[in-house]
Amino acid sequence: MSAFDGRRLARWLPEFAMVAVLIVLPFAFAAWLGSPDLCTRILIWGIFGLGFDLLFGRTGLLSFGQAAFYGTGGFVTAYLLTSGTLDNVWLAMAAGILAATAFSVAVGFLALRRVGIYFAMITLAFGELSYFLENSPLADWTGGENGLPGVPAPTIALGGFHYSFAGSWPSYQLVAGFFFLGFVFARCVLLSPVGAVLTAIQQNPERTAALGHDVGAYKLAVFVLAAAFAGCGGALLGIFQSYMPPDAFALDTSGQLVIQTVIGGAGTLIGPAVGAAIWLSLRDLLQQVPAVGDLWKFILGFVFVVLVTFLPNGVVGAIMRWLSQLWPRHTPAVVAGAASHGVDAARREKLLAPLRPGVAAAISPPLALEARDVRKAYGGIRAVDGVSLALREGAFHAIIGPNGAGKSTFLRLLKREETVDAGQILLHGADITAADVTAAYQYGLSKSYQINQLFPRMTVRQNLRIGALGRQRGRWRLDVFRAAESFPEVEAVAAALIAELDLTACADLVVDTLPYGEKRRLELGLALASRPSVLLLDEPLAGLSPAERESVKQLIRKLGKGRTIVLVEHDMDAVFELAERITVLHEGRVLAEGAPKEISGDPQVKQAYLGGMAP
Amino acid sequence: MPTLAQFLSQAFNGIALGSLLSLIASGLSIILGTLGVLNFAHGAMFMLGAYAAFVVLNHSDSFALALALGALLLFVFGWVTERGLIRFYYRRPKEDQILVTFGLGIMMVEAVHYIFGGLSQRVPLPSWGEGIVNFGYFIYPLYRVEAIGIVAALLLAFYVVLYRTRIGLVVRAGIEDPLMVELLGTPVRRAFLIVFCIGSMAAGIAGVIYAPLAAVIPNMGEQFLVQCFVVVVIGGLGSFPGAVVGGLVVGEILSLTTLFNPAYAQAAIYAVMTLVLIVRPRGLFGTMGRA
Amino acid sequence: MSIWSSDNDGMFAKAKRRLTRRNVMKAGLGVGAAGLLLRSGTLPAFAEDKPALGTYPAGTTGSSVFVGGVMPLTGPYSSSGKDMQLGFEMAVDHLNNGSPITEQIATLKKGKGVLGKKIDFQVADSETKPDPAVQAATRFIRDNKAIMLTGTVNSAVSIAIEKLGQREHVIVMIGNSGSNDTTGKDCQRYGFRAQPSAYMAAKALAPVLAKQLGKTIKAAYLVPDYTYGHSVYDSMKQFTEQAGWKTVNEQLVPLGTTDFSSYLLNIGNSGADVFVNVAFGADATSSTKQADQFGILSKMKYVVPNISQFQAKELGAKVMGGTYGTQAWWWTEQDKFPLAKLFVEEFEKKNSYKPRWGATEVYVQMLVWADAVERAGSFYPGDVIKALESGQKVNSIYGEVYYRAGDHQLVRPVPVMVGKKPDQMKSPEDFFDILELVPGEQVLPPLDQTGCKMPGIES
Repeated sequence: MSAFDGRRLARWLPEFAMVAVLIVLPFAFAAWLGSPDLCTRILIWGIFGLGFDLLFGRTGLLSFGQAAFYGTGGFVTAYLLTSGTLDNVWLAMAAGILAATAFSVAVGFLALRRVGIYFAMITLAFGELSYFLENSPLADWTGGENGLPGVPAPTIALGGFHYSFAGSWPSYQLVAGFFFLGFVFARCVLLSPVGAVLTAIQQNPERTAALGHDVGAYKLAVFVLAAAFAGCGGALLGIFQSYMPPDAFALDTSGQLVIQTVIGGAGTLIGPAVGAAIWLSLRDLLQQVPAVGDLWKFILGFVFVVLVTFLPNGVVGAIMRWLSQLWPRHTPAVVAGAASHGVDAARREKLLAPLRPGVAAAISPPLALEARDVRKAYGGIRAVDGVSLALREGAFHAIIGPNGAGKSTFLRLLKREETVDAGQILLHGADITAADVTAAYQYGLSKSYQINQLFPRMTVRQNLRIGALGRQRGRWRLDVFRAAESFPEVEAVAAALIAELDLTACADLVVDTLPYGEKRRLELGLALASRPSVLLLDEPLAGLSPAERESVKQLIRKLGKGRTIVLVEHDMDAVFELAERITVLHEGRVLAEGAPKEISGDPQVKQAYLGGMAP
Repeated sequence: MPTLAQFLSQAFNGIALGSLLSLIASGLSIILGTLGVLNFAHGAMFMLGAYAAFVVLNHSDSFALALALGALLLFVFGWVTERGLIRFYYRRPKEDQILVTFGLGIMMVEAVHYIFGGLSQRVPLPSWGEGIVNFGYFIYPLYRVEAIGIVAALLLAFYVVLYRTRIGLVVRAGIEDPLMVELLGTPVRRAFLIVFCIGSMAAGIAGVIYAPLAAVIPNMGEQFLVQCFVVVVIGGLGSFPGAVVGGLVVGEILSLTTLFNPAYAQAAIYAVMTLVLIVRPRGLFGTMGRA
Repeated sequence: MSIWSSDNDGMFAKAKRRLTRRNVMKAGLGVGAAGLLLRSGTLPAFAEDKPALGTYPAGTTGSSVFVGGVMPLTGPYSSSGKDMQLGFEMAVDHLNNGSPITEQIATLKKGKGVLGKKIDFQVADSETKPDPAVQAATRFIRDNKAIMLTGTVNSAVSIAIEKLGQREHVIVMIGNSGSNDTTGKDCQRYGFRAQPSAYMAAKALAPVLAKQLGKTIKAAYLVPDYTYGHSVYDSMKQFTEQAGWKTVNEQLVPLGTTDFSSYLLNIGNSGADVFVNVAFGADATSSTKQADQFGILSKMKYVVPNISQFQAKELGAKVMGGTYGTQAWWWTEQDKFPLAKLFVEEFEKKNSYKPRWGATEVYVQMLVWADAVERAGSFYPGDVIKALESGQKVNSIYGEVYYRAGDHQLVRPVPVMVGKKPDQMKSPEDFFDILELVPGEQVLPPLDQTGCKMPGIES
C-alpha cells in the first residue's frame, strides 16, 4: 500500500472505529441493563452534541439556548406526524430539521451580534423565550406542558422489504445510523477549509477576518449547522420514546448539553456522547444507591465542577493526551519537508508574486493606494486629521512620527479595520472607503501587525493555510466536503513561504511553542500568504534582536518586490534604508513628505521629531 | 383600556419589582464587568440570602439582624468561593468560568434542598413592614414600599463604593480595560476578590429582602437569574447604571404588560431585549469594548 | 462488561451487581443474546396459557415482581414526591409482610406479597419533568421488567407515563394529577387515576361555596397559563356560574413567574368578592403570600380549588385560615374511615408528620391493584385491567372505592374544606375543617362528557 493510500486510510480510521463501537456498545448496555435504551438516549444526546461541539468546541461559541432548536426540531416533527399532516416520518424529520435551522437563522442573526459571555446570555434568553412560546401561545399545536404523544417510528419499504424502526433495538439502529451519518458529516466539516476557518475563528477571530474570511457568515453557518443537529436530535427523541416532551425546550436541556460536552471533552466531536454516557449512567446508578437518594444531583454537580477544574479538556481530551504521550505522534515534517524541498527558488518567487503584479518597470505606474483627506477622531482627540497619501504601484513608502502621531491608526484605517470619519480610500482606483477588513484583504490589501496576531494552537503551516485560503476561496464558501489541504496552490504558497521565512524546522509545530523571532516572521508570512499587491507593515521589527532585524529587513526587501508597501517603523535606520519615500506624521497631520534624503534634511522635521538625531 | 388608577398602580409596581431586579443585576453586572466572570451561581446566592433570612428570623425578630447576617454570610461565601474556586479560573477561557459557576449553582441548590428539604420556608414580614399604604389611586403593601427605599439606599451605597473609592476606581478601570488592570498586578487581585464578595453580597441582601415575599424554596433563584441576564443585556454589560436602569425597565415591562395581556409579560421582556439588540447591541449604557 | 467493572467503590459495585444479577439470571444467556431475544419478543411462553403482553410474563418469572415508582425527588415538587415515596414504601411493606390494614381486605389477608410473589421496588427521580419521567419509566419497563408503575406528580408527567404504559402494555397507577384530560381525552386502558379530577373538585366545591358565601358573587381568578390551569379554571367557572356566580376577571400567569404583584394588583382592582387561585405548589405559596400582603385576602374571600399538600404548613394558619378549597384527602378523614386512622397513626409514627394525599394515593392504589391481581389470579395485564374495571369495591383509607370502567377514575369522596384560624387548631397540623365529604358518585362527570375513548387492551 502506498503512503498516499495509508494517509487516506488514516483519514477514515475514526469512522471505521465508530462503526465498530456502534455495533459492540449496545450489547454491553443491553447486558448491563437489559436493553440498549440508555445507549440510544446517549446517542441522541450525542447527535445533539455533534453540532454543539462544532459550535462551542471548535468555534468557541458557548450557546446556552440550544434547547430552542432541539425542541423546535422535535415538536415540528411530532406535530406534523401526530396531527396527520404528514405520514412519512422521514419527510417530517426533514421538515423539523428545516424548521430548527430557519429558527436558528433568526436567533443567530441577533445573538451573533455579540460574542463570549453576551452570546451565552442572549442565547439563553432566546431558549427561555421559545420554552414560553411552546407552553402558552403555541399550546394548541404543541400540547403545552403535556407535550405530544404518539409520535410514530419511521419505516423502510422497498418493494417487498418492509422494516419498522419501532421498539428498543430498531430505535437503536435508527439513532445509531443517524449518529454515524452525523459523525461522518461533522468530521468532513472539521477537516474541510470551513473547519479550518472555524478553528481559526476560535483562536483569533479578528485576524481571521483580516485574512479575508467572513467571520460573521461562518459563525452563522456553524450556528445553523448546530441547530440542524439539534433539530435532528429532538426529532429522534420524539420518535424514540414516541412522545415529544415539552421540557426539551427547558433551560435544563441546554445546561445538560453543555455539562455533558464539557465532561466528555469539547472539540473532540465524540465528547458530548461520552459525557452523556457518563452523566446518564451516573444518574441512573446514583439513584439506585439508597444512601444517595435525592443527593444524586448534588454529587453530579460536584463531579462536574471537579472535572471542569482538573480536566479542562474533558475525559476524551485527557485520554487523547495520555495516548499521545504513550505513542508520540511522528511528525509529518518529513512529508512536509519534501513538499517544500521540491520547490526551487525561482518557482518560489513565482508562487509568491503578487496576484495583481505591480508594474515596477513602468515610468509612471498607476496609483495603487490612495488616501484622500482621511480623518478619524476618538472622543475629542483627532487621531488622524486630514491625511492624504498617494502610492504608485511598486512604491515603498514609510510613515514615521513620534508616539501618538496617528501612524498605527492610519494603517488601521487603510486596512479598513476601522471606519473613517471623513475622507476617501482608494485601492487600484476603486473606492474601498466603505469596505470592511475582510473585503480589503480580498482586494489584495494585507497587513502585518505590531503585536503578533497568530493562531496560537495551530501549526505554522496551518496558520499560513488560513491566510492563503482566504484569497483562494473568497470571503465565504461552504465547501465542507473538501479537505482543507486539498488546494494545491494554497499548499504550494504555504510551503514556499515556510522556505522563504526560514521556518522549515518548525513548519509543523504548534505556534504557541515557538520563540518570538519565529512568531514574528510568521506574522509577516501571514500577511504575505494572500499574495497581496499592497502590504501594510506595522512595526515589523519590533522586539527583534539586531541579527533578526537584519534577516527580516532582507525578507521585506525580497518578498516586497513587486508590491506596494506602507511601512510604519520606529527603527529609523531601517526606514531610511528601505523606504523610497517617507511621510512624517505629527499630531495626526502630515508634517512633511519626500525622499529619505529630503526628510533627513528637513529642518522642520528635525525640529519637531528627529531632534537632531538624524543620520 | 386600563384606567388611570390601574396604570398608576402598575407603574408603581414596576418600580418596586424593578428595584429588586436592579439590586440583583448590579451584583451580577459588576462581577461580570470587573472579573469577566458571568456568575451562573448568582441566582443560587440570592436563594442562599433568603434561607439566611429564614434561619435568622427563626431565632430572632430582628429583620435588621437578618439583613446584616445575610449580607455577611454571602460576603464570606463570596470570599471562600473566589479564593477556593473562581481565582483559578481568571486565566482560563471565559466559557470555563461560566461552566464552573453553573456547576456551583447546582451544588448550592441541591445542598440547600438536602438540608432544608423541598418545602417552602416561612419567613414573616418584619413588624414594621406589615400593613398597607393608601396612595389614593391605589393601595400597596407597606413592606414593598419600604423595600424600594432599602434597595435605593443600598444602590446608593454601591454607587459610593464604585465611584468614590480607590477600589471603585480599579473596578471601573477593569470594566474599561481589563488587560491594563491585569497588568497592574496584586492590588487588582484584591479588588477582584472584593468585587466578587460585594456582588455575592448584593445577591444575598436581595434574597433577604425578598424572602418574606415569595416561596423560599431551593429553586427560587432560577427565574431571577434569567431575568437578570435580560436586565444586563438591556442595560449594558458591566455597567452599574445600566443594571439599575435595566432593572427598572424590565420591572416596568413586566408590570405594564399585565394591563393588556397578562400571559405575555415574560415574553415582552424578551421582545424588548431583542429590540435593544437590533437597535443598540451594546445595551443602553454599555461600551462596545467588552465581549 | 461495563465501564464500572473495575470500579472498587462499594456503592457503585453493589448497585451494579443488583442490576446485572437480575438480568443475567433471567435471560440465563450470553451477553448479546439477551438483547436479541427481547427485541423479537419471542421469550418462550411459560406455564400459564396467557399470551405475552408488555412485561408479562417476563417480569413474573422470578420469586418477586417489580413495581417502579416515578416520583420527583428534586425540584419544586420534591416534598410531594417524598410524601409519595413514604406511602409507596409503606404499601410495599404491608403487602410483603402484612399489616392491620391488609388484614381488613379479604384478598390481601395472607400478607405474603401478591400471588405469592414479593414486591421488589425502586424509586426514580422524575424531577417533575416529562422527559426524565419517561426516561425513568422506560428504564423500569425495559430493564427491570416492571409489572406496574406508580407515582407521577403533575398532569403532564402523568399523561406522558400513562401513554407510555398503554404503548408498552404496563399498568400505570397515576399519582398526583388533577387535569380532566388524564381520565378524559387522554385516558388510557392502562392508566388508573386516584385523585379527583378538576371537574370533580369543582363540582364538589361550588355548591358548598354558594352555601357558605352566597350566590351573587363576583369572582376573580389567577390562572397558571398551561393546560392544567385552564382545565381547573374552566371547571370552576362552569360550576360556580351554575351556582349564580359571575366571573369578573382572570389573570393568566406565564410559567415560571415568581412575583405575582402585577397580577394581584389587577385582581385587587377588579372589584371581585372572591379571589380564586388556581396556582399550585410553590407558585401557590408565593401568590398566596403576596395576595395576603396586598390586602386581597382580607378584602376578598379566598378560594383555592386544589390546595397543595403542604400549602397550609408552608404558609401557616394565619394566612390560610378561612381559605376554601378541596384536597384529594385530608388526614382528619380518619375520624370517619377506620383504615385511614390506622394509616395515619403508623405513618406519623414512622415519619413524624401527618401523611398527605400523595402518600395515600400511592398506598391505596397499590392495595387496590394487588387486590385486582389476586382476584384475577394472574399478573396478565388484560386480566388485571378487567378486574380493576369490574366495579368491585375495595375497602381503603378513603372508604369503599372502585374504578369507573368507562374512564378509570377512582370513585372516592372529595373533602371540601375551610382553613382553620390558629386559635381553632387542636394540633400542629390541624389546618382544615372538613365542611363536607362529597361522595364520588355525586361529582363524577357523565361518561359521555369526559371525551374518553378507551383504547383496547392490546392496542
